[in-house]
Amino acid sequence: MTETVIAKDSKSAATPRRKSGGHNAERLAYLFVLPALALVVVFRIIPLIWGLGYSFTDYDGMSQPRFVGFDNYIGIAHDPVFLDSLVNMLILLATLPIWIGLPLVLAILIHQGVPGGKIFRAVYFFPAVLSSVIVGAIFNVLLRYDGSFNLFLKAMGFSAVDWLGNSSTALFSLIAVQLWSTFGMSLLIFIAGLSTVSSEMLEAAKLDGAKLLQMWWHIVIPSIRPIIEFAAVVTTIGMLTSMFGLIYVLTAGGPGTSTILPEFLIWLEQGKMNRPGYASAISMVLFLMMAGLAAIQIRIMSRNADI
Amino acid sequence: MAEVQTREKRILRILSIPMALLALSAIYPVFFAINAALKTRKGYVLDRFGITTDPTFANFSQAWNQSRLSEYFYNSVVVTVGAVLVLLVVASMAGFALAILRFRGRKIIFITILVSLMIPVQVVLVPFYRTMIGLNLIDSRPGLIIAYTAFFLPFSVYLMTAFYARLPRELFEAAQIDGANLLKVWWHIMLPMGKPALVTLGILNTLYCWNDVLISLLVLQDQRTLMVGIAALRGEYTTNVPLLAAGICLAAAPIVILYVIFQRQIVNGIAVGAVKG
Amino acid sequence: MKTTNRILRAGTMLATALVMTLGVAASAKADTTLTVWDWKSGDPTTTPYYDKVKADFEAAHPGVTVKFVMQPHDQYYTLLGTAIAASQGPDVVLVHGGSQAKERIPAFSKLDDKVADLKARVAGWDEFAGADGSVYAVPISIQGLAVYYNKELYKKAGLDPEVTPKTWAELDAICAKLKAAGTTCFALGNKEGYGADFFYSAAAANALTAEQQAAWTTGDLKWSSPEIKAIVQKWVDTQKDGWYAEGANSTAKFMDEYQSFERSENANTIGLLSDVAHWKEFDEFLEPQNVGVYVLPPVSGGDGKLRMPLAGGIGYAVTKFSPNQDLAAELAKSFAATPAMQVFFESAGAVPSDTAVDTSKVESPSAKVVLGSLSDGAPLLHNNTSTAETEEWHRQSQMLFTGETTVDKAVARLDEVQAQAKKK
Repeated sequence: MTETVIAKDSKSAATPRRKSGGHNAERLAYLFVLPALALVVVFRIIPLIWGLGYSFTDYDGMSQPRFVGFDNYIGIAHDPVFLDSLVNMLILLATLPIWIGLPLVLAILIHQGVPGGKIFRAVYFFPAVLSSVIVGAIFNVLLRYDGSFNLFLKAMGFSAVDWLGNSSTALFSLIAVQLWSTFGMSLLIFIAGLSTVSSEMLEAAKLDGAKLLQMWWHIVIPSIRPIIEFAAVVTTIGMLTSMFGLIYVLTAGGPGTSTILPEFLIWLEQGKMNRPGYASAISMVLFLMMAGLAAIQIRIMSRNADI
Repeated sequence: MAEVQTREKRILRILSIPMALLALSAIYPVFFAINAALKTRKGYVLDRFGITTDPTFANFSQAWNQSRLSEYFYNSVVVTVGAVLVLLVVASMAGFALAILRFRGRKIIFITILVSLMIPVQVVLVPFYRTMIGLNLIDSRPGLIIAYTAFFLPFSVYLMTAFYARLPRELFEAAQIDGANLLKVWWHIMLPMGKPALVTLGILNTLYCWNDVLISLLVLQDQRTLMVGIAALRGEYTTNVPLLAAGICLAAAPIVILYVIFQRQIVNGIAVGAVKG
Repeated sequence: MKTTNRILRAGTMLATALVMTLGVAASAKADTTLTVWDWKSGDPTTTPYYDKVKADFEAAHPGVTVKFVMQPHDQYYTLLGTAIAASQGPDVVLVHGGSQAKERIPAFSKLDDKVADLKARVAGWDEFAGADGSVYAVPISIQGLAVYYNKELYKKAGLDPEVTPKTWAELDAICAKLKAAGTTCFALGNKEGYGADFFYSAAAANALTAEQQAAWTTGDLKWSSPEIKAIVQKWVDTQKDGWYAEGANSTAKFMDEYQSFERSENANTIGLLSDVAHWKEFDEFLEPQNVGVYVLPPVSGGDGKLRMPLAGGIGYAVTKFSPNQDLAAELAKSFAATPAMQVFFESAGAVPSDTAVDTSKVESPSAKVVLGSLSDGAPLLHNNTSTAETEEWHRQSQMLFTGETTVDKAVARLDEVQAQAKKK
């Protein structure tokens, strides 16, 4: 019964074979995915489509929604706050190399046996276990104009900077805090990846006289490319969907629009401004843009999962 | 050769200094929170950063008793444990089917699940809430368990699928010779074999569920979870930082203790689970 | 290894059992439960008030249970929005007076005939009234903007601590003198934009005529009008003149700004009459005899009289979808019952909407000034500003400080938002 549905190897998987009883087993296979699929469809996909419907109405959460065609979308295109939030999102995405590079370099150093490496490995992951409410509340106090970070800078002879109150530094401060609180995760993934790189290969390269940096660049990094891709995908999703808590506590979107991301704007329009219809339209635009990104990511993820 | 090695070592030693500073920064928030929690409200306002000389534990007992945190704590434990177990079972089943079994629509189903990974919570807030009401899941702990499962499932399914896809196929072939049915294969082979990935997911999902505020706020309106209780302590006007800090310490303590105890497993688990072997 | 496997499997069985029992988890309902949403009931200073309301109401209505659900203030209106959208949730809700209440009126029940007996005793109804003049919530507090000052710091700067400014020029002179003595004149937190809200609202209170206030509400008085633009200009000028400490844009008004005032780091702050940042709190830190209070003079215009800007603060509304309309309205009213209001005043220091509350026992000098000013107040401008304008002003006020925009550009942008928001 089972032999028809269990693929012998990845090649035969492409053309499912059917024997007697195959139907039955296939049905059983559906039973296995059904709980997951049902949950995802009912609680995420259907609400998404529902939201798409709202985006064509003037829904205010109270009166009957009225169909307004593309009015909301036209409104968005002329909304300077939304446009600013897009720019901020692009800036955020442009920092991806740091989000990957920093933990990668640290992982390499720990792998190379930097003194105290074991302790670092354990401690670096620590911020990742704290909720953003906690991280935000703490950095709020640290990064203020009269906060401990500026006190430290002043003690070192530098002048104080209003990290969160200055348009040119607020977004980067926000990004830095989020990076600080999540880099431990990528670090662990990289350390694990590095441990799979065969030491013979490295020895051979060393004997060939390869310099340390060259060796890392030409041998080690290419050999853990799938892992880097995986980390990049996970990080990007995190950037686009889980910055809200930190924005709320750290900057509330300001000064001006300098730390408003689309995710935060959706919340603002929906809650404070009480315009779910308009907020839905922003959601859809954000989702569409993510879909482009998602296409690339799905390809990478499908490959990683051998599907 | 030896010369190169000593130079390498020296560079590493120098580099360990900034790394140690980074490590200190990772610890500092804990120090700050504990220090603040030991101050009185007035003491904190008057001196925020100084080390407290006259510690008080009143904030902890106030947070625990007056703010109903003990009750919320129980809710958090029940919901987190429940959601994580359901998540692991559902994700493991789906991962097994998607990675090993062959059936029509497999790819579409996989992509559907991946797409849902990219929907921010804010995007579906209102429809999600109405769905929960429609299914009569509001204000019940099972409702929140289901909601968490739905929200954290996509990544779990992805990871399980990726993990199972890399297992050697001989395992299933051996099983099918024995004539075991799918349920038995899953139970006796897939679950034990999937342990490293399941451990990883168990840890990550525990973090997500424990730290969540938004979903819990929507679903559980009478019975609260701990993080929501903490968020409410922030109040309209963050009046009482020491009380908040005490709440934060209490809320983070279980997670930190778990992390310290299972540090090795967590680090290895994430490693094994996330990396192509 | 073996044990872990066993644990894992045991866990799986447990989870399966859990999933199966989910369907059975039906909830048993008590007779009648009235659910109230707020963001205050868990606050230690307000607990006695809420306990009193609950006890009194349940005693008067056997079989009815009152349940307070305190929501985090951060998410309050988002949650209320989702509840309203789904037509399910609380029976009675706390809302801020002014635009937050008015923009949600379609979701609330009209209370006119039910609160007739309260109308005379309770003040502050306007902030909860619809365009037709009907009332949609019962006010429980009077809110307003007063300037609190630190008498000790005034003395140190060589100022007479009992003389308060009557005109903007006098205030300017005070700030100059404080600055010369090395004291920051005003505490300011504008991280969320609230500092700017309080500033323009307080500065406009005695500058605008009643007609101009009405024109503002309807959107006919523009941001670019000379009256309002002068205030926006002063917002920028006061910063240039060094009234505030560095870092206003990253300082939260609640409570960072007020805490710095409580640490005597600055001499003045625009505070509130109720809830927090009021006389009771400042008295606790600075000693009652050291805290003074005055009304912010108008930037320009005015009739020379300084009226306290005040209005209904927060109030309780009944949701349209509540199945227990009459009971819910009764409950909303009981929040304004005199015995409960008395507790609210004494434990939380809120200025109660109920005029029958006995406030004669108060000793605090600043409280006496505040309570004495209630009979003749000026409107709170920011209560009649649309949320869209308020949000935009938050952003513009911050950019005016960072120098990213100019007064002309800011008021032009605000005019646009105003035109759009008040179009409906």
